[in-house]
Amino acid sequence: MIARYHPFLHQFPTSGSKELQIFSILAQSFFQPFSLLDNLLVILTALTAGSGLGFNRAMLFLVESGELRGEFWLGPASVEEAASLWEMLSRPGISYAEIIESNRRLVTDGVNPLQQKIKKLSYRLDSSGLTLPALAASSRQIIHVQEASQEPLVDRHFLDLIGVDEFLCIPLLSPDEVFGEIILDNAITKEPIKLRDIELASLCGLAAGNYIYVTKLQKRIVEMKKQAALGEMALFVTHQLRNPMVTIGGFVDQLLEPELDEARKKRNLKIIREEVSRLEEVVSRLTRFFHIEIKEKVPVKLQEIFKLTVEAVKPLTTERRVAIETEVQPGVSHVYSDPVYLGEALRNLVENAIEALTDGGTVKLKAFEENQDWIVIAVEDNGRGIPESIKDKVFDAFITTKEKGLGLGLAYVKRFIEANNGWIKVESQEGKGTVFKLYFKARPE
Amino acid sequence: MTEEKKRILVVEDEKNLCLLYQEELSKEGYEVVTANTAAEALALIKEQNFDLVITDIRMPAKNGIELVSEIMGVRRDIPVIINTAYESYRHDFMTWAADAYLIKSASLDELKAKIKELIG
Repeated sequence: MIARYHPFLHQFPTSGSKELQIFSILAQSFFQPFSLLDNLLVILTALTAGSGLGFNRAMLFLVESGELRGEFWLGPASVEEAASLWEMLSRPGISYAEIIESNRRLVTDGVNPLQQKIKKLSYRLDSSGLTLPALAASSRQIIHVQEASQEPLVDRHFLDLIGVDEFLCIPLLSPDEVFGEIILDNAITKEPIKLRDIELASLCGLAAGNYIYVTKLQKRIVEMKKQAALGEMALFVTHQLRNPMVTIGGFVDQLLEPELDEARKKRNLKIIREEVSRLEEVVSRLTRFFHIEIKEKVPVKLQEIFKLTVEAVKPLTTERRVAIETEVQPGVSHVYSDPVYLGEALRNLVENAIEALTDGGTVKLKAFEENQDWIVIAVEDNGRGIPESIKDKVFDAFITTKEKGLGLGLAYVKRFIEANNGWIKVESQEGKGTVFKLYFKARPE
Repeated sequence: MTEEKKRILVVEDEKNLCLLYQEELSKEGYEVVTANTAAEALALIKEQNFDLVITDIRMPAKNGIELVSEIMGVRRDIPVIINTAYESYRHDFMTWAADAYLIKSASLDELKAKIKELIG
């Protein structure tokens, strides 16, 4: 016998021991589809939800440009508020989304006095790093403050603001960075902070630090990928421009030779003209690629656009001796799109399909209703299929297996269909063929 | 007795570039034969004698790097110059088998100098 459980919960755990609850919230918050700040707030909520173990209030500071800046101050402002807040948070089955909603209200509605106060706080880590609260972040230590009013290391202004004599400062760290600090207290219940609370809070601090670290890394990776793609693009374009430029340069040099006869001069000028046209083509394809903007969608008749596509590729089908068939399901007459972009996208797909074929191959251009919401235009070939190794790259720009071309075709099609609020899917089997399916919303938006 | 002309095979799929190389290298006193694909080039190498091969890399069907490795299998002694728009292939292991790796340039001086260095 086996039992299966889903690893990710959408519910805020409200039963079991407090430690287990917090542990569960920490682990789950990584997988919640909310922003970093929202999820950090959930961690703080876990630390402050309830009057038993844990804390009454939590402040979050984040480091920005060498400064510890106040972000959130979570918790009830008064004993009355505490009762209703904790009641809500301990309701069985409350979801992460509800907690996040409540947190957002708490920190953005402008009436929470704690939140208004903390937004004004900032401490430079270098100059104010010797007093609390900044000291915990600058020294990378957890600091438990008791009898704060007697403690010279506590910043007086901060003490007035927090208004309690005992609080706990937890730095949010990665191995080589400080991301922020959490400050916790029991302003409502006035419970002393116990060692167990400190241990629990420090675990939350570590998890939150880890979480910020991972999020930053992810952002950096995305950024690096973008830069790499941009670099690849620059490289590709340079290459595409180089051949025509070399040719132009070479024939211009010949033109400069005094002994060149008239016929050769004319021929050279003709070649130069051809190569300039190629350069223009590269530039105009790039421009088209970067400027897809569908302003208005109109019903585009499928029979007509198919006919136009077939005509546009006629020279290629003749040259390659490839058959092309069209098929529109009865009852399906049009899709909502921009006919110019759609035509270009279909031509791209059909040309690709033809190029994947040898003598006797067939390309099918079909339109049918997938379900009541989506109409599909499918471009099908019985060619060699897409090799497994590049399957997940086919829609990337500047990736091509062809000698000629910019590798923009499929990337263009994808950009087009997404701008059209649809999507594209590819099904391919090596040696059997490939189908590209474009999904269009069945009804106008 | 006139010295026999050195024979160069230029492998390049861009017809205009082919023409340019043919004319410019003929002026330098070489006999130039051109091929538009790697397959065509390989057939020529098997049939005829060449003193040097200049090849592009990105060509339809078989590319220049594959061609270099096949030339090595047939006629190990022919010097090969890779002449390409692509800097990135320089790191490709097989390009090391070529005698020179040049980036295409509007001025053919570098190419001509390299040819002179390799075959005189």
